[in-house]
Amino acid sequence: MSGQYHRPHRWAWFLERPGYMRFMVRELTSFFVGGYLVVFLITLARLGGGEAAFAEWVAALASPGWMAAHIVALVAAVWHAVTWFAAVPQAMPIYLGEERLPAPIAAIVMGYGPWLTVTAVIVWWVLR
Amino acid sequence: MPAQDTMTLEIFRYHPETDSEPRFQSFEVPYNEDWVVLDAMNWIKDHVDGSLTHRWSCRMGVCGSCGMMVNGEPKLTCAAFLKDYYPFSIKVEPLVNFAVERDLVVSLDGFMEKLQAVKPYIVRDDVNDTSGGEYMQTPAQLAQYKQYSMCINCMLCYAACPVAGHEDEFLGPAALALGHRYNKDSRDQGQSERLDVMLMGEAIWGCTFVGECTEVCPKHVDPAGAIQQAKAGAAQEYFKRFVAPKGAGA
Amino acid sequence: MSAGGVSGGRGGRPARPSGEAFWWAVFSAGGVMAALFVPAFVIVTGFLLPSGDAAVAAERSAQFAAAAGWWPVKLVLLGVVSLSLFHCGHRIRHTLMDLGMRGASGLLKLPCYGGALAGSVWLGWVLWGI
Ligand code: SF4
Ligand code: FES
Repeated sequence: MSGQYHRPHRWAWFLERPGYMRFMVRELTSFFVGGYLVVFLITLARLGGGEAAFAEWVAALASPGWMAAHIVALVAAVWHAVTWFAAVPQAMPIYLGEERLPAPIAAIVMGYGPWLTVTAVIVWWVLR
Repeated sequence: MPAQDTMTLEIFRYHPETDSEPRFQSFEVPYNEDWVVLDAMNWIKDHVDGSLTHRWSCRMGVCGSCGMMVNGEPKLTCAAFLKDYYPFSIKVEPLVNFAVERDLVVSLDGFMEKLQAVKPYIVRDDVNDTSGGEYMQTPAQLAQYKQYSMCINCMLCYAACPVAGHEDEFLGPAALALGHRYNKDSRDQGQSERLDVMLMGEAIWGCTFVGECTEVCPKHVDPAGAIQQAKAGAAQEYFKRFVAPKGAGA
Repeated sequence: MSAGGVSGGRGGRPARPSGEAFWWAVFSAGGVMAALFVPAFVIVTGFLLPSGDAAVAAERSAQFAAAAGWWPVKLVLLGVVSLSLFHCGHRIRHTLMDLGMRGASGLLKLPCYGGALAGSVWLGWVLWGI
């Protein structure tokens, strides 16, 4: 009997709210970050293959196709970081007595601060 | 005197004894600036169609029974003002992700089961022993869970959650936030029992932090944040039990 | 019958303790690593190394090689890249589940976590040889 009405399954649910679309974009960064990590693995493998192999690989990476791919990867990686740091204060609240550390400060302390430091050190290392 | 302004409400109708499929019915209602959608629904029930079925009680955002989809958005209809939609028509549907019993009334069975599963009350070993007096709590300890105790069980968060719509095992935003609320209560001793439930299948892990539950919550509970914190607690417990299985020592 | 949703409780499938707690913990740690390190990696290997000028590229490549050949850096690389791979694998798996592949949640573990594991092992081997 039951007599209850069940709505049909909505396959394209992720188009129904702007928040769902933002969620999907955030999740899809993992496909691009994962793809980049494979390229990064190849880069390290070429490094193991000797100086000539590495120079050849690096020269290939200068092509417009690879540049475009890396721009996409950078956007995805940065967006992953930005959304991750936005979630950190929500997922790991810090209490100072009765007060909760305000989200923007928590995001800077636990996210943007370390991020800029790590990025600066790595870039400086290669450029110095 | 000018004629009274009106507005159109398009209302989801479903009477299981006569309808095999739901349908939409339009009603003209008088437009009053200080009316909420619930006032218009009650006006229809009193003046036009007494068979219109919907839940409500407090009319002030406290009881949590008047939640419906208003133009596709989960809302407390007692807090959704007509003037925010005027002069356009308003579409009213029952909360999505729930089975519909009749018109705007959804089945609460699944929600109640999930709510009970997390033991949303203080669990104590010494429940009958009052010799120590009250359980004391400092304001700082209260601050740890206060936000998560504001829930009115309106279920708007379930209507906003795609995982709640697709995964039966998932306990859902309000139940998990409430479980977390008691886990964070310094007077409570039931954390391990609640984590037994949360560690099962997709009970908590189904959550992919879409975050829309927090967006629609009328009480600013932030169930999405509570769930991520509860996951961290559950993961810690998982590793603890891995090292020292529960019940092995005692 | 339950058509999904908050309609009838557990919907018939018996719940059992899952290894999800473990994968979620790895996912979280990897999410932090990917956020902190991957943008810098992309800047270095995608833009700074292939900078056009062969002499500059050679000089930067030498710096990069020297860094990657130093064992503390190797350890960091192994940890960061491996956790990031598992992060991506977990997120990809759950995205596919949210997109309707819930029935294959167990099956998806093989490519998602297996791929991350294979990548980590390969990286360990590569770093060993540098
Ligand atoms: S968490 Fe918020 S939206 Fe969900 S039931 Fe409680 S009050 Fe309603
Ligand atoms: S009628 Fe009580 S919350 Fe709306």
